[in-house]
Amino acid sequence: MLKELKASKIKIVTILSCLLLAFFILVLIICVVTHTTLPALMTSLASKEIQFAIKLSLTTAAISTILCIAISIPAAYALARYEFFGKSLINTLMDIPLALPPLVAGVGLLILFGTTSFGKALAETGLVFVFTPLGIIIAQFFVNVPFMFRILRGTFQGINPRYEHVAETLGCTEAQAFRRVTLPMSKNGLLAGSVITWSKGIGEFGAALMVAGATRMKTETLPISLYLNMSCGELNLAIASATILIVISLVSLFVFERYGGFARVF
Amino acid sequence: MIRLENISKDLGEFFLRDVTLEINEGEYFVILGPTGAGKTILLETIAGIYHPDSGRILLNDSDVTEVPPRERNIGMVYQDYILFPFLTVEENIGFGLKSRKIGKSEIKRKVDELENLLDISHLSHRYPVTLSGGEQQKVAIARAIAIEPPILLLDEPLSALDSRTRDYLRGELKRVKDEFGITMVHVTHDQTEAMVLADRIAVMMQGRILQVGTPYEIFNKPLNNDLADFVGVENILSGVVRTNEDGVAEIEVDTGGTIFAVSEYHAGDAVKVFLRPEEIILSGHEGDSTARNVVKGRINELHDVGPLTRVQMDTGRSELSELVVLITKRSRESLGLQIGDEVYATFKATSAHVVRG
Repeated sequence: MLKELKASKIKIVTILSCLLLAFFILVLIICVVTHTTLPALMTSLASKEIQFAIKLSLTTAAISTILCIAISIPAAYALARYEFFGKSLINTLMDIPLALPPLVAGVGLLILFGTTSFGKALAETGLVFVFTPLGIIIAQFFVNVPFMFRILRGTFQGINPRYEHVAETLGCTEAQAFRRVTLPMSKNGLLAGSVITWSKGIGEFGAALMVAGATRMKTETLPISLYLNMSCGELNLAIASATILIVISLVSLFVFERYGGFARVF
Repeated sequence: MIRLENISKDLGEFFLRDVTLEINEGEYFVILGPTGAGKTILLETIAGIYHPDSGRILLNDSDVTEVPPRERNIGMVYQDYILFPFLTVEENIGFGLKSRKIGKSEIKRKVDELENLLDISHLSHRYPVTLSGGEQQKVAIARAIAIEPPILLLDEPLSALDSRTRDYLRGELKRVKDEFGITMVHVTHDQTEAMVLADRIAVMMQGRILQVGTPYEIFNKPLNNDLADFVGVENILSGVVRTNEDGVAEIEVDTGGTIFAVSEYHAGDAVKVFLRPEEIILSGHEGDSTARNVVKGRINELHDVGPLTRVQMDTGRSELSELVVLITKRSRESLGLQIGDEVYATFKATSAHVVRG
């Protein structure tokens, strides 16, 4: 009897904590989206500045996501399939950007592209990263590539190499077996990885701020726009950016949950 | 014909050691061995998935050691089916034909034909995840033979199936072999499966091929103790040959008692005698059997194993100590056997297999 009472006390306390946390999150979001009126939001959304920020965010995030996919597919495949010297060290290195504060990553990128001869050589070929949209892309790439990489590594590890073996006995080269079998089987992982990388790219602030700066109508992504407009009191514009960011996050979360945070494969 | 010459491969946990093997064209060849013997790597090496560390693989006298899997034209079927989950049954079966750039209508015709043969036409548009194990394995077999391989490699193809499906698919595998004249190389740890299907069997343990022979030779004439133990020879006795008259040796067993066995060994040779438990007949009295060996003893233990009864009898110190006998449940009933009963075990001189001890 006493035991039961104790158990139900725990039940009450834990469920209350749950509700409190959920309420806190909900209130926060409602506060942002109700801070402005709908007509004001529409006007802000139609403004040149917000339009620019939306466009810049969408394109930079899309490009950085494509870059993440392009490098992560082969890299994750190598770590999932092969044994080679230094593999565990590389596995650890790959996770560093996850642990690093984005501002620090940004400083590193700024130094690499701004001060080293490598960066200067790139700049001479026209690839200027410092204080340009290219810098935003590279910042998003660096900070978010571990997400794509980890999801794909898990995805490839989850696919029995025998699928490729069978495909090879049926007439495929290794590359064809990868394209015709492994890649379609990785569909959910690829989708989940792309969504999370893209939505994190849209929200990337710290590293992008360091490398690309916060120049209005030049390197002004949605989070930068939010920051600039908050600083100079343009509350309506700031809320417009924030609202878009919230919508993008929620949609991404939904897609990610739907297609498996654990990169659910067959 | 498949010829493996001194194949070695080390994959850490699993390995092949100096495997030499010849598999004849059109033969149903079974590789029998316990789990972890390296049977799967052996198949995958034949298929070209692994490159041997040393040794050569010859198919019809041409060296294919360096040839990639896609050019070997060898079909592969795994225990876990490995059907492509994002393709329908039809697309799975046609996969290899598509790789070979064969026209759509020709693929369709070929796939239909195989679906008919294996009685899976009604599954054509289904996805693998919706199929039973037996159905999936039939699709995997159809997919492998669609490319008309002269050789089909089967890695424990029936091990994941229930016993009814297993019996049925055994028949299907034999039919596929006969219909297409494919050389079958079938890996299993299941002795009954090996006995039922094989023209010849190779026993593999710890990466090595230890014996190759007909099912009769493998199960009745194992080459050594380990092999005898593995193939279920439960009576293994050590002894010395006393005399040999016209090829029948009189062997004095270490624990006492004498056995007559057909053997080439001479007086004074130390030997081991292998006697399968199902080669022994039990009766309540000495009888008038023509068998050379009659041993008296008392029943120690009685266990039913499926349709059979395993009898363990104590033959006393002066005899062979302990014998294990397999009889049908029916004969157990008609003999009215109980623990403690005195019985006579009879076996022929040809039933006992003798090797050097």
